Amino acid sequence: MKTFDHYDARSIDEALGLLGKHRGKARLNAGGTDLLGLLKDRVLPQYPELIVNIKTIPGLDYIEEDGERLRIGALARLCDLAGSRLLQERYGVICEAALAVAGPQIRNVATIGGNLCQDVRCWYYRYPAHLGGGMLCARKGRGPCFAVKGDNRYHAVIGAGKCFAVCPSDLAVALAALDGHMTLVSHRGERRVGVGDFFSPLRNVLEADEFVKEIDVPKASVPRLQRFLKFTLRKPIDFAVVSVAAVTEVKDGIYSDARIVIGGVAPGPFRAGKAEEELIGCEPGDAVAAQAAEAALEGARPLSKNAWKIEVARALIKRTVYR
Amino acid sequence: MTGEIFASNVESAAGDKQMSLMVNAHSYLLTVGNRPGEVDPAHTLAFTLRETLGLTGTKVSCDKGACGGCTVLMDGKAVLSCMLLTIECGGKEITTIEGLMEPKTGALDPLQQSFIDHSAFQCGFCTPGMIMSAKALLAENPSPSEEEIKEALSGNFCRCISQYQVVEAVKAVSGKKR
Amino acid sequence: MGKPYRYIGKATPRRDGAEIVTGRSHFVDDLRFERLLHGKVLRSPHAHAIIRSIDSSRAESLGGVKAVLTWENIPDLRYGNPRVFRLLDPKVRYVGDAVAVIAAESEEIAREAAGLVEIDYEVLPAVFGDYEASAPGAPQLYDEFPGNVLPLGDPFLGPKSMVEIATGDVESGFSEADVIFEGKCGYDNLPNPMPMESPRVVALWGRAAEGPDAVTFWVSNQAPYLMKAVLGSILGGNVDVRVFGGPCGGSFGSKLMSWQPMCYAALLSKNTGRPVKVVYSKEEHLAAFTLRPSSRLDIKVGMKKDGTVTAIAGDWLIGTGSYSQTTQAQVAVGCGEAMLAVRCKNWNVKPRIVCTNRTASGIARGFGGQELKCALFPILSRGMAKLEIDPLDFMKKNFIRPGEGYLWRNAQWYDYRGIDFTKMMDKGAEVFGWEQKWKGWLKPTTVEGNRRIGVGVGVHGNADVGEDVSEAYVRLDGNGRVVVHSCLQEHGTGQRSNALKVVAEVFQTPLEWVSMTPADTMVNPFEFGPFGSRGTYIILGAIVRAAEDAKKKLFELAAPMLGCDASELDTADGFIWAKTAPEKRLRWQRVLFQRTVLGYGRFEPDYSLSNCLMSFVEVEVDTDTGKLTLLRVVNATDVGQIIDPQGLEGQLCGCLGTAGIDSAIFEETVLDPLSGRILNANMIDYKWRTSSELPAIENVVFETPMPTHRFHAIGVGEIATSPGPSAVLMAASNAVGVWLDGYPVTPAKILSALGKLGSAGKIKDGANGK
Ligand SMILES: Cc1cc2nc3c(=O)[nH]c(=O)nc-3n(C[C@@H](O)[C@@H](O)[C@H](O)COP(=O)(O)OP(=O)(O)OC[C@H]3O[C@@H](n4cnc5c(N)ncnc54)[C@H](O)[C@@H]3O)c2cc1C
Ligand code: SF4
Ligand code: FES
Ligand code: FES
Repeated sequence: MKTFDHYDARSIDEALGLLGKHRGKARLNAGGTDLLGLLKDRVLPQYPELIVNIKTIPGLDYIEEDGERLRIGALARLCDLAGSRLLQERYGVICEAALAVAGPQIRNVATIGGNLCQDVRCWYYRYPAHLGGGMLCARKGRGPCFAVKGDNRYHAVIGAGKCFAVCPSDLAVALAALDGHMTLVSHRGERRVGVGDFFSPLRNVLEADEFVKEIDVPKASVPRLQRFLKFTLRKPIDFAVVSVAAVTEVKDGIYSDARIVIGGVAPGPFRAGKAEEELIGCEPGDAVAAQAAEAALEGARPLSKNAWKIEVARALIKRTVYR
Repeated sequence: MTGEIFASNVESAAGDKQMSLMVNAHSYLLTVGNRPGEVDPAHTLAFTLRETLGLTGTKVSCDKGACGGCTVLMDGKAVLSCMLLTIECGGKEITTIEGLMEPKTGALDPLQQSFIDHSAFQCGFCTPGMIMSAKALLAENPSPSEEEIKEALSGNFCRCISQYQVVEAVKAVSGKKR
Repeated sequence: MGKPYRYIGKATPRRDGAEIVTGRSHFVDDLRFERLLHGKVLRSPHAHAIIRSIDSSRAESLGGVKAVLTWENIPDLRYGNPRVFRLLDPKVRYVGDAVAVIAAESEEIAREAAGLVEIDYEVLPAVFGDYEASAPGAPQLYDEFPGNVLPLGDPFLGPKSMVEIATGDVESGFSEADVIFEGKCGYDNLPNPMPMESPRVVALWGRAAEGPDAVTFWVSNQAPYLMKAVLGSILGGNVDVRVFGGPCGGSFGSKLMSWQPMCYAALLSKNTGRPVKVVYSKEEHLAAFTLRPSSRLDIKVGMKKDGTVTAIAGDWLIGTGSYSQTTQAQVAVGCGEAMLAVRCKNWNVKPRIVCTNRTASGIARGFGGQELKCALFPILSRGMAKLEIDPLDFMKKNFIRPGEGYLWRNAQWYDYRGIDFTKMMDKGAEVFGWEQKWKGWLKPTTVEGNRRIGVGVGVHGNADVGEDVSEAYVRLDGNGRVVVHSCLQEHGTGQRSNALKVVAEVFQTPLEWVSMTPADTMVNPFEFGPFGSRGTYIILGAIVRAAEDAKKKLFELAAPMLGCDASELDTADGFIWAKTAPEKRLRWQRVLFQRTVLGYGRFEPDYSLSNCLMSFVEVEVDTDTGKLTLLRVVNATDVGQIIDPQGLEGQLCGCLGTAGIDSAIFEETVLDPLSGRILNANMIDYKWRTSSELPAIENVVFETPMPTHRFHAIGVGEIATSPGPSAVLMAASNAVGVWLDGYPVTPAKILSALGKLGSAGKIKDGANGK
């Protein structure tokens, strides 16, 4: 890896100060499981001059519930999420999603903040510089989207434009299904962004001088059915080809609420509103699950090689919703 | 936990930043910098172990977090040393494959012996990483099921397909005390 | 039944076991050198281009840079088949092709310097598909090869080599057939053997003790002696090459293609006077080293109702990518292997090797035969289906038997002297439950909702068990210890430990008394290397002969001391005695006082034997998602005599990885259709099997004594990967009820075959590019 300066931040303020001072040329390092890969392959259009270690910021790895919300500090590790009794009991999709990430060694250091902020896995974007030079594409601010005419078997089928890379984060899918929000802080102050709104086709909404402090989820009022399924060519290691998180409530034998979020198909976690509509007011069963699956990706426009992902998404929805 | 990290990254009188790295119960005082023998901020733990400390038992294959070859223990947990910056490992306790033997007698860890007994390797390049992952598992869960063993080793690549024999080797020592 | 042997057939620990499990096994990158420099390769961004000019002055002036080599400032070194491929060339032929090599004080500096080399390219149109490359008007890679077609034949195999399968008269064969059918099938997904340890080498030019024109290599390889020969021939007659083998983190044949990194390191060392290390990153390993050749068969077959194949005729197209080292040899061996597996009197199959603008293809476990058979069996299946022939019966009927023969790689006919493998095939079928599970062609074994189970079978055999030459010495020392001198390199099969076992068996000594020289070409006799499955028959054969020779000499020395004839003597545990008077025992040390006994053994090639492996597979297909899961594998084989049960088990379980069975499931190299870049040159996107997804494997092993050496064993390691891929394709086709004929069987292909993707999602075969 090419060298950089390094600083152990002791507080969010200190980290923000450094981000501000280095104007886009500083990068935060949490678990580093994504960042180091980007640096080694020289993927980023601009190689950072400073790496700010944020693991040294005390007290940011909590997983706790207060009156209204579940709150998770950005530095909570995926192994902690997977092992948390609180999450296992009430927010099962988060555990399932955390456990579905990479392999055990990565989960032991990777953080939830890093998971949400990680960069896309598009194989054009990530093409390593030492194999003849990296590929400058739309996402890097210059060039076309190579996926459109290229091998796009893993790319987005819906909601994309300019860039067809999909959101790689498994946690984003689970958190979006729970109506999760992220608290971003900068010297301008704090803002809360819905996990689903954090992502957009060319980049996420995080500014170069912002810090993700916390992820929160509204406390559930009633017991819910929660399910997360991830489809990969093999487990583990693989990023989701498609994943689905479904959180549903059944009252008096009918769906009273449903949130269905699909991962791997769009630039962000894709909320399948049409599928939710199919469910609400209906009795759980195979038929309604199939209808929801059918409706979920209505309007999807696959590229040359990724139509199969729609089928996979349908299958996963049927399985998460009912079975 | 956090406090220790600061204690271990200190400026020396000469202005050189120093850090201490605890590997296999031995504390190394290292200077941060880019001369030979120093720790550059961009050095991975795998690099430092192998090139600076000469602990070449830890293997690097993918160097991208995908193969588990570089697995070491950090505070008892299996982690990938190719995806960690050395400079961020101050104050942590690192155990490498070299640290598994009984330091005084040189006796093999029962897990290592079991790998030999089961010929749980072919070319042996993945073996140190496999053993470290298995070690972390057994420390946390001394009597794992077969499924748990496979899950714990699921981030460890073996091209030769030694995993069947590895699973047997781990099973054979599980449930036993060291 | 009690084995007659003391060590052979029993589990004994690997001699290198303690080093491996403690991390003290010194792979190349673990060796320490003083004043070591690091070499890096600057690689081409273009798939096809001419280097108009190259300016390395900025790179050279970077602090810590010691040498920058380009085609302009190195000798015109060439290798490959034919020998026209330049080490550094003014033309680049794939994305990743070497443009310059740099030596610097650190890897990071070398990398930085690579970015400072200024190159002006004239970009040329490129061609990636094998068919496209042979079409009129296609971009031409080499002036020497019009139409991008390489000559067939490999001088290495002898004055003649197999360049086609041509026997009998196909027309009369077709006239005897009950059905005639045509088919096309490709095994063209270019899986990568991908040993865990990437290619790497340290070279030191001009070691004082060996003179200015001596170069020494420490290289990750399975065949140090062969590399010595290869490098000697590239670097020129007056250069003395010494190669140290050391532990090798996997090769599967591929590392015999290491001439390029070895030459880079050697030239950089010559230029700098310092040792230079070149370690390929995993990305370079995946994108700029070697892949399996692509193979496409387009044939017409005549078949009788009883499964007799009366004629096979057509074309075999092999893609070798940017250059060839061994592809012609793979074609030659592959042709022979087809004849071993399919008894047919009338063949006319014409191979054609084309080059394209992608990373080269070369050696991978299964050397040619796997490539051919993965395309051949799916086509034969169509005929079997027409005639309702059970593939197991077909394979039993058609695999080589005593009284028959085949043409082998040197285009000579061999009468087969081996055994009939039918019994072990039957046993494999029984263990697998073939009879219960086989429901007919395109019929699933079971269907439960969206989950369909299908089964398939494949078979493979290879007469390379007896290929090429091995030599060994066995030295008896005054202290009663035995030293084997062999350039056999350990690369994972345990064969070095097996060598110690057979020698201990010959002398009946404790195993610990036998040791082996390091695989250093300076101290050891010629050894071709553990390629194919030749280790057990030929390498161990030469070592056994050397041991027997040493024993004979020992007895000749002992005979006068015991007052009897050498032929009456016996030995064990360091004592010698006359069989007639066992109470009078003489210590070896007495005989060997101030004396060394040296036995010599040589084994010449013998192509009259074949091994055989049959793989049965059971897969589950999820018809909703298209995902294929491998549930179970049963391998059946006959090894003559097991040398080491655990080692054998490991080799057979190896059927999944190394571009084997998994090349039918998820392993493939993905080429960008526009730029020709390899998109999945990393270990996340290049799929490999994890321990969470291990299928059940059962290995059925027979031990019918083989006419090999005194221990009657035959090797089988190499072919473990070969029967599986076509078996998976068969099983998948049966599960979904539709013929599938492209590898790997991805979810998209299955969904497409099931008609679930409509016209938009239709997946074409010939995965790469078209
Ligand atoms: C082999 C492999 C397999 C993987 N498989 C999966 C998978 O299946 N599913 C999946 O979801 N992911 C996967 N990943 C990605 C994995 O890196 C993330 O899941 C991980 O959670 C990232 O966390 P981290 O703490 O290591 O992030 P880092 O690498 O530390 O950070 C990632 C990015 O986020 C930024 N960042 C981190 N924390 C903050 C913060 N608090 N505020 C603002 N910015 C921040 C960093 O600057 C950086 O740009 C895989 C990675 C590898 C190497
Ligand atoms: S999908 Fe996005 S990241 Fe990938 S090539 Fe297109 S623009 Fe670049
Ligand atoms: S070398 Fe670290 S995970 Fe592969
Ligand atoms: S034993 Fe060779 S990679 Fe595992």
